[in-house]
Amino acid sequence: MSLDAFASVLLSGLVLSSLYALLASGLSLVWTTLGIFNFAHGALMAVGAYITWQIAQGLGDTYWIGIPIVLMIAVMILLGALLEYILIRPFYGDKNLILVTVMTTLAALTFFENGIQAVWGPRLKQLPPVVEGNVSIGNLFTVSSHEAVVIVVSPLILIGLYYFLNHSVTGKSIRAVGQNQKAAKLMGIHVGRSFILTFGLATALAGIAGAFFGGLRLMNPTMGSEPLVKALIVVIFGGLGNIGGTIAAAYMIGFLEALLIYFVGLYWTPSILFLVMILVLFFRHEGLFSSSPRTTT
Amino acid sequence: MPVSRRFTLLIACIAALAAFPLLVQDSYMRHLLILVFIFAVVASSWDVSLGYAGLFNFGHVAFFGIGVYATGILARKFGVDPWLALPAGGIVAGLSAVLVAIPVLRLKGIYVVLVTFAFSQLCLQLVLSQSWLTGGAAGLVRIPPLRLLDYNFARDGKFAYYYVALVLLILTIVALTRFVKAPIGRGILALRDNPDYAAARGINQAIVRVVVLVVSAIPAGLAGGLYCLYFRIAAPEVFSFGTAILILSMLLVGGTSTIYGPVAAAFCIMLFSEYLENFPQLDVYKHLVIAAVIIAILRLAPDGLSGLARRLRI
Repeated sequence: MSLDAFASVLLSGLVLSSLYALLASGLSLVWTTLGIFNFAHGALMAVGAYITWQIAQGLGDTYWIGIPIVLMIAVMILLGALLEYILIRPFYGDKNLILVTVMTTLAALTFFENGIQAVWGPRLKQLPPVVEGNVSIGNLFTVSSHEAVVIVVSPLILIGLYYFLNHSVTGKSIRAVGQNQKAAKLMGIHVGRSFILTFGLATALAGIAGAFFGGLRLMNPTMGSEPLVKALIVVIFGGLGNIGGTIAAAYMIGFLEALLIYFVGLYWTPSILFLVMILVLFFRHEGLFSSSPRTTT
Repeated sequence: MPVSRRFTLLIACIAALAAFPLLVQDSYMRHLLILVFIFAVVASSWDVSLGYAGLFNFGHVAFFGIGVYATGILARKFGVDPWLALPAGGIVAGLSAVLVAIPVLRLKGIYVVLVTFAFSQLCLQLVLSQSWLTGGAAGLVRIPPLRLLDYNFARDGKFAYYYVALVLLILTIVALTRFVKAPIGRGILALRDNPDYAAARGINQAIVRVVVLVVSAIPAGLAGGLYCLYFRIAAPEVFSFGTAILILSMLLVGGTSTIYGPVAAAFCIMLFSEYLENFPQLDVYKHLVIAAVIIAILRLAPDGLSGLARRLRI
């Protein structure tokens, strides 16, 4: 492989990995804390992108796209909290919790995909890049500035998330609820509040991924379904309930995908990724990096 | 409900459905009911693995899709007689269930959802990438229809397909209810409700899981084969989220572990969805309404329609 080709594989690997990491960490966070799998996560990414687009349209061209993104994050946190209240809260303590929430989140998925189509129409849209222009490092890499921002900012957000979860009181209480709900309650942690916060946070992460994605490629109502599937592979690969593992897995899968696309082509890549995922589950039931997995029954 | 009354009700339903095409002359209604029958087969067979066995098998729609493609490829590419290609769809689906069972055997809970989901995505990707065999994204078209001597099933206003689908549904219901009432069916329930005790009584979880997956896959594969011969097309949409959502909602709205519930829900959901077609101004909002109704039903009637019926003592 020539140096040029290597650079482009590395670059697309980094961009993909960053987006997967943003999306997958939200999925993983919700799974660890609430014990449910959110199939609407990809659709929420699309919702984030469209809300950003709408706010940007409302403000006009004079404002930098960062402002709509920040406003969108606020909207997404509220939306996430609302969704937790409607889709998940009513079913707590239900013996079929996993199954029922699979269904409610799938219903939310159809709701959002069709809702986007109803509100914004099926026409493709695009967000302006976060930063215009290109960046070159030496003579090897030339990246669009937007991609550079995605590559740099995503890990920063995830490091922030990691510190929030491990070093702040609120973050620790979220983890406590995930590890042992009853004990957390006895310690005086408000379980319901932690759930709402977690869902809001995960939804906001999906929204950020959507806003980044909207600056890279064209947006359409079903833009979230493919990244969701990739995020799912990442989460399994890294082991559910382990943010650090999820982030590491996102980068591994992103690079693996970029390499596979380069070597075996676009057609075989998804099949191989799914095969890898099934094999990982076969040999390591709970993912590669899982240390103390949530007990599942 | 007493057994004799249930039996009478069942016979009455079958008689009404058998007489329906003779009474209602609308071929579109027959088309709608053919779809209901096919989806009801898929939903009620899913109930065996998801409801009775409590196995979060999320790849059930893949078995349906495998049936569609196995029948389609055999009939279209290899010139196999459609009457043979149809059961072949069921057999191939059953064999693929053995494959799925291998990773599923050692997993629990959400991991079963994930691995079976990955399996269905893997099927979709294989269908998309192997276009020389499967027609790729465009699908396989011009699949030969069922025929009996010179009688072409595709040209009689959907009468023959109606009865084939009805027979498939009745056979499925009878076979599945007998299966869950048989000793192995009891074992399945025992494993779901008290795995340790069941294992202590000598029920082999691995074998039961394989059997459950195969038994639930075969009707789904047959339904897929019929779906393919009826529409005379095999398109990758059968593996999509949309199909999975439709059938899973039949299962959950109908109520799990009942076999009959999903069948009843298949009628209700398809007819409700069709009823909404009367309001063309709804357009894409139709899907929003359906999604909202599903969430509302899950919330108000957690055990689905069958649970509601039980509470009202019907």
